Amino acid sequence: MRKYIEFARVQMQVHAAYSAWFWANTFSILLRMLVIYFFWKAVYSSRTEIEGLPFDGMITYIIIAMFLQMFVSGVGQELAHTIKDGNVAIELMRPYNLITRLVAMDLGDKIIHFVRGALPLSILAFIFMDITLPTTWQAGLLFLISAFMGIWIGTFFDLLIAILAFWTINLWGLQVMKEAVISFFSGALVPLILFPEWFQTISLFLPFQAMVYVPVAIYTGILSGTEAWLALGSQVFWAVSLFVLLRVLWTIAIKKVTIFGG
Amino acid sequence: MLSRYVKLYYLFCKQNLKVMLEYRMDFLLGVLSVMLQQFAGIFFVKIVFDHIHALNGWTFYEILFIYGIAATGRSIHHIFFDNLWTLGWQYIRPGKFDRLLIRPINPLFHFIADRLQQDGFGQLFIGIIVISTAMPHLGISWGVLEFFILVVMIIASGFIFVAINLFFATLSFWMVDSLPIVWTIFNLSDFARYPLTIYHKGIRHFLTWIVPYGFTAFYPAAYFIKGSGFERMALLTPVVAIVSCIIAYWFWNRGLKAFTSTGS
Repeated sequence: MRKYIEFARVQMQVHAAYSAWFWANTFSILLRMLVIYFFWKAVYSSRTEIEGLPFDGMITYIIIAMFLQMFVSGVGQELAHTIKDGNVAIELMRPYNLITRLVAMDLGDKIIHFVRGALPLSILAFIFMDITLPTTWQAGLLFLISAFMGIWIGTFFDLLIAILAFWTINLWGLQVMKEAVISFFSGALVPLILFPEWFQTISLFLPFQAMVYVPVAIYTGILSGTEAWLALGSQVFWAVSLFVLLRVLWTIAIKKVTIFGG
Repeated sequence: MLSRYVKLYYLFCKQNLKVMLEYRMDFLLGVLSVMLQQFAGIFFVKIVFDHIHALNGWTFYEILFIYGIAATGRSIHHIFFDNLWTLGWQYIRPGKFDRLLIRPINPLFHFIADRLQQDGFGQLFIGIIVISTAMPHLGISWGVLEFFILVVMIIASGFIFVAINLFFATLSFWMVDSLPIVWTIFNLSDFARYPLTIYHKGIRHFLTWIVPYGFTAFYPAAYFIKGSGFERMALLTPVVAIVSCIIAYWFWNRGLKAFTSTGS
């Protein structure tokens, strides 16, 4: 356990060393928030609500979802590159579990991202945009649990996709495709209740809505009571299934490495 | 002189195509992924328009048209000039840039021709599909002249993308890798997907006169949208493209002079 905590800590230091990227990120998020704000302002210029959501409810959903989406991706990139350049063979010989190490590093990454990026920026958003707090403290608490599960699901899904690097070389394409599918189905761009009926039905059976939509819908009160608990249940299901699936696929993929090794 | 460069570019392309054909699965994956990415953006607009009739007076097809021009213009940049992203971390930092300097051709040309980015084709397809979907709904009749202007506008849009990226990539000559800056500035182009009229005046002026992303989509599209009020502004698009390219190239040459290899 100690060594994994150490990995998380080192990752935080690495992050702190690249200040240019930190500022680039911060600035880009600010820009995105501006675009979102003006776009939805224009959408609401001629009406007061859409599907029961007033402007402040909508902007709260969109901004919180945007922040949450930044955390649902994990260290897939890292794993994919390790596989691609062949270092995975060496990594496997080292005295730790590669996947656990990557998850630990990812955790470090996410903590520092939260503290240096998401937290100050969301405080800014609270002050300057019409963002509201959760309606009740129960909703707030459920949101935290649900968001944690969403991030868990996203992290493992990311690693699952990265294992495909054993079979393809276009990592950039793989990444872009994953991002596109997630922003599509997770409800990161717009609440799923705005989607057509059939689309909502499909996404109900996919793991993506559990990443962003469920937590943020609980936050904004779109999901409450029994619905919220059911949604949490589906998150638990996905969290466990993806975790198991990752272990299985990883074992299969590793065999491939040994075969190449002769 | 020119014919030599054309021939050289052809030879570079041939090599790049060979790589593409070698990894067919990856070519498909790249094209498909970019198409999906663009499609997600369009789908978003569609969902929003299921609930509203107009965005600040702009109809769905007008927004689509703006979107399409942005995507097509960007695809020119993505297919042919994608190497600009890599100047810092793949050329200057590992010391590979010196290799280009000792060849008897223009280093910028060599640098650009080094890569043909297949993934950009996905963007191109989507852009063309989106534009042709939106075209019949804009309330103007499409003659040969209109088509010609459209093509000019799209090429101009593409070169504005190129000029902006070239300008900020050039900073790498002083700071080894300017990728964070290039990337941040590139994100500004997100503003250009929607009509500039929805933004605050300050943002609008910034995107028109400082970092001219407004001319990559909104202004050229406004030329074809009746009563948009920006038809004359739109005619500036090719001028803006040429001026930005000249400025960026001038800056590149200055950077080249200031360049000292990582080895020394």
